[in-house]
Amino acid sequence: MIAHYLQRLVEIFPFFLKGLWMTVAVSGLSLILSTIFGFLLGTLRAGNSRILSGVIGIYVSFIRGTPFVVQIFIVFFIFPEWGIQLDAFPAAIISLSVLGTAFLCEIVAGGIKAVEKGQWEAAASSGLGPIQQLRLVILPQAMQTILPPLVGQYVLLIKDSSVVSVIGVIELTRVGWMTVVRIPEGLMVFTLVGILYFSISYPLIRLSNNLERRMAVEQVRL
Amino acid sequence: MIKFKDVNKWFGKLHVLKDVNLQVAAGEVVVICGPSGSGKSTLIRCINRLEKFQKGELFVDNFPLHDHSTNITNLRAEIGFVFQQFHLYPHMTALENVTLAPINVRKINKTDAVKLGHEKLARVGLSDKADSYPSQLSGGQQQRVAIARGLAMSPKIMLFDEPTSALDPEMIGEVLDVMVQLARDGMTMCVVTHEMEFARQVAHRVIFMDQGELLESGSPDQFFDNPRTDRAAVFIGKILTH
Ligand SMILES: Nc1ncnc2c1ncn2[C@@H]1O[C@H](COP(=O)(O)OP(=O)(O)OP(=O)(O)O)[C@@H](O)[C@H]1O
Ligand SMILES: [Mg+2]
Repeated sequence: MIAHYLQRLVEIFPFFLKGLWMTVAVSGLSLILSTIFGFLLGTLRAGNSRILSGVIGIYVSFIRGTPFVVQIFIVFFIFPEWGIQLDAFPAAIISLSVLGTAFLCEIVAGGIKAVEKGQWEAAASSGLGPIQQLRLVILPQAMQTILPPLVGQYVLLIKDSSVVSVIGVIELTRVGWMTVVRIPEGLMVFTLVGILYFSISYPLIRLSNNLERRMAVEQVRL
Repeated sequence: MIKFKDVNKWFGKLHVLKDVNLQVAAGEVVVICGPSGSGKSTLIRCINRLEKFQKGELFVDNFPLHDHSTNITNLRAEIGFVFQQFHLYPHMTALENVTLAPINVRKINKTDAVKLGHEKLARVGLSDKADSYPSQLSGGQQQRVAIARGLAMSPKIMLFDEPTSALDPEMIGEVLDVMVQLARDGMTMCVVTHEMEFARQVAHRVIFMDQGELLESGSPDQFFDNPRTDRAAVFIGKILTH
């Protein structure tokens, strides 16, 4: 029996690859958007404007304080109420990016705040404009603190992408559910799903660990 | 070059600058001293608007700094600032520290910048340290790189906030030597320091501050030998026994 299911599983393996590809697409796109907006909002969050920083803080708290499933449902079901129709795919990208941005923004802000105030003052005193101060002097130093948890957050984002199966995006987890209906070997099916997730997150975990070690060494040098 | 007119500053309720009036002419070297917390740092940090003040007027190189629409970034390019704690960029070599602003503010090309950088490092006696990172340099060397970084912008004014206070005693001399040379070359300088020897050698004027007030202004010899106020006399007594 097991051999029979295994053979079936091999037959429909391309379906899993499609699911994996969708997972990579959804998490990849959200990861890029989260990084862009995470750096933008993180910079503002660490900035001088109390109001901006406060507003971003509220957004972050809201995202942290509500389950991701609920956030997806809000995007997927509530937006149409306001006349904004969203397909499952863009809805998934938006909700994942909103989630990722919130976490990355805190990491970036933390990294920026960890740079000594004197570095800003030295850069400003030499005639660099605010953006140049950030780009040439502050961020290169902040990256030491930012990079390891940033990559770690990417792994979380990939794992969280499984939740978008609830709105019908046919990614890896959804493929697992659809397969179990036909091949009632849950353990086998979801072990395969797990392995496929692991195959994309493991390199990132390694990268994060490596960065952590490298940064620790550089920290000593600085 | 620099003109304070009735400048007042508060940190919250703390009145840190009280009706400060001060003029510094081009080429003049002014030493500012006074007890801890008297407002010396605040005073010179106003000159490139690292601190803002609430009342009064301040002109630097004819720019009105009390007018908040003054483009401070352009003015800062003309003013070098040397910090007590150096604040070199730790992720860059000595040469990169020196050439960063010339390349990105003055927009000079890389080759010229490198040439300029080596020139300025040579001026502070650190030709051989161009490729060293700040963490590989002694305190005195770091501070000299910081001075070279300021000079690389060909500033009209150099400001120093206790440039030797964070240094081991044996390194103070090498930094002061560079500053003496700079003063003799005619640079306009405002220096917060308690180094009496330096003041006597090159300062045109010594200014004494206490509790936010500018109490005395006179030649180094007059100030150190015959202070007019009791508070200055007490202060000089303290740095002499130091
Ligand atoms: N950012 C700040 N916020 C609040 N108070 C401040 C701030 N910076 C300085 N002060 C206060 O303002 C006063 C003047 O400070 P300032 O640093 O100008 O003194 P100083 O003469 O340079 O002293 P020191 O010799 O210790 O460097 C001090 O009482 C200090 O505590
Ligand atoms: Mg001070």
